[in-house]
Amino acid sequence: MKGAPFSFLRLGLVAQNTLREAVRQRLLHLFVGLALALVLGARGLRDFNFGAPELKFLADCGFGAMTLFGSALTIAATAQLFFSELENRTALTLLAKPVWRAEFLLGKLLGVALLTALFCALLTGLLAAVLWVREGELMALDPEGFRGGRAVSYAMVALGGSLQWLRLVVLAAFTLLVASFARTQVFAVVCGFGVLVICHLQHLAQEAYTRAGSAVGVALGGFLGGMFPNFQVLSLADSLDAADLPSLATWARLTAYGLGWAVAAGLLAVLSFRRREI
Amino acid sequence: MAPALETRGLVKDFPVGLRGVKLRAVDHLDLTVPAGVIYGLLGPNGSGKSTTIKALLGLVTPSAGECRIFGRPSGEVAARREVGYLPEAPYFYRHLTGRELVGFYGRMCGLGRRELAGRVETVVAQVGMTGAADRAVETYSKGMLQRIGLAQALVHDPRLLILDEPTAGVDPVGSAAMADLIRGLRDAGKTVLLTSHLLGQMEALCDRVAILDRGRLVAEGTVAELTGGAGRQQLEVDRLDEAQVTELRAWLAARGCGLHGVAAGGRGLDAVFLERVGRDRAGGKEA
Ligand SMILES: Nc1ncnc2c1ncn2[C@@H]1O[C@H](COP(=O)(O)OP(=O)(O)O)[C@@H](O)[C@H]1O
Ligand SMILES: [Mg+2]
Repeated sequence: MKGAPFSFLRLGLVAQNTLREAVRQRLLHLFVGLALALVLGARGLRDFNFGAPELKFLADCGFGAMTLFGSALTIAATAQLFFSELENRTALTLLAKPVWRAEFLLGKLLGVALLTALFCALLTGLLAAVLWVREGELMALDPEGFRGGRAVSYAMVALGGSLQWLRLVVLAAFTLLVASFARTQVFAVVCGFGVLVICHLQHLAQEAYTRAGSAVGVALGGFLGGMFPNFQVLSLADSLDAADLPSLATWARLTAYGLGWAVAAGLLAVLSFRRREI
Repeated sequence: MAPALETRGLVKDFPVGLRGVKLRAVDHLDLTVPAGVIYGLLGPNGSGKSTTIKALLGLVTPSAGECRIFGRPSGEVAARREVGYLPEAPYFYRHLTGRELVGFYGRMCGLGRRELAGRVETVVAQVGMTGAADRAVETYSKGMLQRIGLAQALVHDPRLLILDEPTAGVDPVGSAAMADLIRGLRDAGKTVLLTSHLLGQMEALCDRVAILDRGRLVAEGTVAELTGGAGRQQLEVDRLDEAQVTELRAWLAARGCGLHGVAAGGRGLDAVFLERVGRDRAGGKEA
């Protein structure tokens, strides 16, 4: 009898099944619908200064919707897709096959990563379309203001979408890490939101502690910084200007930063799930 | 050849309560299931049957002792290549159709795309689910879930099948069909381990049985050995009055035999039910 080495094919099959389950769920449709509505709705609010500031506002709205609904979607989907396997005892059938637990768990993570990729691609595409149309309208109204041609860098918009996705993947990995040992889904969801807040706000805490010069505070800030990624690193400079487009090296570094955290959390989840009783 | 399944000194404790109180679900169990038989694991609810199976499949970690499948330790992923498992009260991905479900598990077991379609067709037909294979699992009845569950256990043609309560909640027609299927598997050279607390069914089906009580093995052997049936026989005759029974007893005694029991005869409700409802229905035409 041969051995059964780790298989990326099986990992991929779990991911595919997870994605399929997710896209057939109503709750997830709701999140996507709300986010879409927000992006399109922002288009209706046009009592603003003409010109670039309005476009910037539209972009902020779009990315804000992506962060808000994307994070909620990621946390809910990760916890739900993992716990449904345990509660419905489908994991029992699956793990009784010649399947590694790591294939199962990382397959779940990859499934959610694909789901968030679809979400980000959809919303980024929609946002770009809204920006393009509005920009065209503004150009027609005020040719003087757009003497240099289009003002929005769509590469910057795409980059914003990809950073958005990296943050969601990191969030999914941390949520899965908690779920791998949590007894209840609610606990995993609450912890997921906790992680989200820490990742978004830890840079503020660190600055405040450093300013206050409190040794304990600095130590705490350092601890948080070591345990959780800093989402501030993974966000766009406040600009849609092609001149602010980061270099390829910077982009690669950011990707490595995000995926590095996701892989680290994923591997920890595998360790903690290794001996869980199914 | 290594036995199909083996446990040595298997102990499983579950922590219950806060202060490290433990519940012993399986207590120093030594079990050997030889290859090629239908082996029944019997016992009341909570006697540790499912836990033993989970330990054999590496789904829970034993507190002590070891388990082997065809000689391989249960902890190894490769040990599960030759096993098909139908869990207790199975439940499956409801977003898939029956066919997609069996196909998914087949792929997970390493079947290639090309052989997959044929295998799925074969096992779905074997369990009588061809008619319902394209419906969502969500819409299946309990009996249909059991049958599609058996199909996924069979899809990679394993040498060993582990079926946890395959007839729980299934009507007599379905149970009888399941029993026929299990016999067919044994005749095709497979080993089948199944659990149940429905003893009548098991008596007719199993080659060997083990009886568990509170995690301990209390009896093990062939059905005939355990029931003392090896040296005995049942006759069904027309009704005799008391005098005639006494006479018969004397007749038997003269030949060195005993009369061990007198009971009302008849075919039993099972047989009547099966005849009237019709066994052909078990072929999966259930709507
Ligand atoms: N995950 C668990 N946590 C705590 N106790 C458990 C767990 N699984 C099973 N048990 C207990 O172990 C005993 C044996 O259960 P089980 O193996 O399911 O019995 P059976 O299958 O024979 O009905 C029962 O008392 C049950 O309550
Ligand atoms: Mg049981």
